[in-house]
Amino acid sequence: MIEVKEVKKEFKKTIKDPGLKGSVKSLFHKNTEIVKAVDGLSFHVDEGEILGFIGPNGAGKSTAIKMLTGILTPTSGEIVINGQIPYKNRKRYVKEIGVVFGQRTQLWWDLPLTETYTVLKEIYMIDDKKFKDRMEFLNDVLELEKFIKSPVRTLSLGQRMRADIAASMLHSPKVLFLDEPTIGLDVVVKDNIRKAISQINKNDKTTIILTTHDLSDIETLCERIIMIDKGKMVYDGSLHKMKDTYGKMRELNVVLNDAKDIGNFNIADKFNFTDDDYSMVSQGSELKLKFNSEKVSIASMLDYVLNTVNVNDISVKDADIEEIIRRIYKSEVKLDENA
Amino acid sequence: MKMLSKIKKIYGAFTRAGIQDAVAYRASFLGFFIGEIFICFVMYFIWRAVYMSKGDSSFMGFTMTDMMVYVFMSNIATFLVGTDATYSIAEEIKDGSIIMRLIKPVKVDLSFLFFELGNKIMIIVCIIGPIIFGLELYRYYAIGHIAFKLSRFILFMISISISYILSFYLNLIFGYLAFFLMNLWGFNILKESIIKFLSGSIIPLAFFPEVISKIFTYLPFASLTYTPVMIYMEKYNGYTLAFNLFLQVFWLVFFVTASRLMWKWAEKRIAVQGG
Ligand SMILES: Nc1ncnc2c1ncn2[C@@H]1O[C@H](COP(=O)(O)OP(=O)(O)OP(=O)(O)O)[C@@H](O)[C@H]1O
Ligand SMILES: [Mg+2]
Repeated sequence: MIEVKEVKKEFKKTIKDPGLKGSVKSLFHKNTEIVKAVDGLSFHVDEGEILGFIGPNGAGKSTAIKMLTGILTPTSGEIVINGQIPYKNRKRYVKEIGVVFGQRTQLWWDLPLTETYTVLKEIYMIDDKKFKDRMEFLNDVLELEKFIKSPVRTLSLGQRMRADIAASMLHSPKVLFLDEPTIGLDVVVKDNIRKAISQINKNDKTTIILTTHDLSDIETLCERIIMIDKGKMVYDGSLHKMKDTYGKMRELNVVLNDAKDIGNFNIADKFNFTDDDYSMVSQGSELKLKFNSEKVSIASMLDYVLNTVNVNDISVKDADIEEIIRRIYKSEVKLDENA
Repeated sequence: MKMLSKIKKIYGAFTRAGIQDAVAYRASFLGFFIGEIFICFVMYFIWRAVYMSKGDSSFMGFTMTDMMVYVFMSNIATFLVGTDATYSIAEEIKDGSIIMRLIKPVKVDLSFLFFELGNKIMIIVCIIGPIIFGLELYRYYAIGHIAFKLSRFILFMISISISYILSFYLNLIFGYLAFFLMNLWGFNILKESIIKFLSGSIIPLAFFPEVISKIFTYLPFASLTYTPVMIYMEKYNGYTLAFNLFLQVFWLVFFVTASRLMWKWAEKRIAVQGG
């Protein structure tokens, strides 16, 4: 379905010295610098799969999506999607894909929402019956009814996002690209959107690639994730496996009888921890302690805590996916290629 | 034919959206238009003073009445062929929103063109009738008989339609230049004044020395407003008329091709900003 081989994208960036002097200088001599936004991505996606791209800001996720959707031409490498090369015949290729850029909108800003769908119907040459059925389905999953007659500029962010997703789905694309589809939304709307995406995926066997900074998106939607950092792939596999492989952080939640006891802790010295091995946050008499369970077993940590302070309540939490990813971003966890 | 009906269906949707979107546009356009009318009257009084001081009733084949018609018609023409193409495309390239067009199976230039057409069409329909009526009324009082000819009006409409599309593509090309010249403002003002001058909308091209006037009429800028106005005023007839219409079509094809080639080149190099 989707085949990506050694894809790279380089941008030329002009660097200007600050101030007026820099401006004048840049008129005569342009200092350029090459930014490797995507640096050798290779992967394969099957039909009906949902793949999540994650990675820190500036990792190259959006750039990768722009190449997959045919907007940008790779500096080198190959992309074949649906038997087509995205950037070769853009007009033909984009008929079969749907795209949402969460930070932009494809809706006509000043017109009632329905008008956007009418225009799209003509653009994609959808016949009346199919259009009606499709609108019904999308209405159902995304609940557009309430605001479909309102001008787009009056929609809330969550409504707009739902409308945008519907717009990208109207022509039943084979592949759907979603760049941060849940950005800036509240928990309930996020949940609705996730449900809709998952239903669309099941209903039409749509292949979906999405990027996000919200790991709950990943947890509810994607069986597979690709993590990108500085343009390079650092992980490709299931979320489950990632947890197993790197989930050595544990979280200890303690409620103390006496808040002053916190001063008694001296964990770093006691266990020879570096800053990356643990973190401790306290609020009143509540204490949240994260630590590397490979260095110190849960039993010894519990032992230490119970012996040092007067405990009211205590609980241990499993590997926290955000913690893992934070550590991978910081290159704390060494990733072997086969993982 | 099938292709044409496909284009009509797809891009007709853009025009309809443009018509509905025109409300916001209308206010600014109306303000602009009132300004234009004001300028027309200023020009009228300037030319009247020129004619009075010379004492001649005709200058370079233009009578005082001709001049009045010229001033108003060339301003209407400028208004009709006016386009925001330069600004719209440059803005979308700069802020990266052009990607929302790129992910759709449409031609970028046509999607702009047909949308803008929808924006303008109502205003055009509303103003062109009254203005031409007023102008002809003036002409009737000045020369004593009705000079309006329907055939000339139709030819004018054909010619001005070509002018508009030509103007659109000319401006689109300037918009593509936004790739190289990120700051567009000074550049745009320079462009506007050059076009105003070379298209004869300030001084009729016939008033220039013969050689210069000849050269200017061959340039694409004359095809913008000068040709349709000359057609309306019956200054172009027979062979000259056919030739100038042909010249318009020639420049149209030339600029459409040029802009398509430029876009092809630019599309591969476009570094979409943001996101
Ligand atoms: N048009 C451009 N010109 C120059 N550099 C660019 C351009 N677009 C992106 N970059 C650079 O490429 C890198 C990757 O950017 P990209 O937008 O793909 O990141 P991202 O993973 O989507 O980040 P985020 O999570 O913040 O959206 C960044 O360093 C960015 O500065
Ligand atoms: Mg991004």
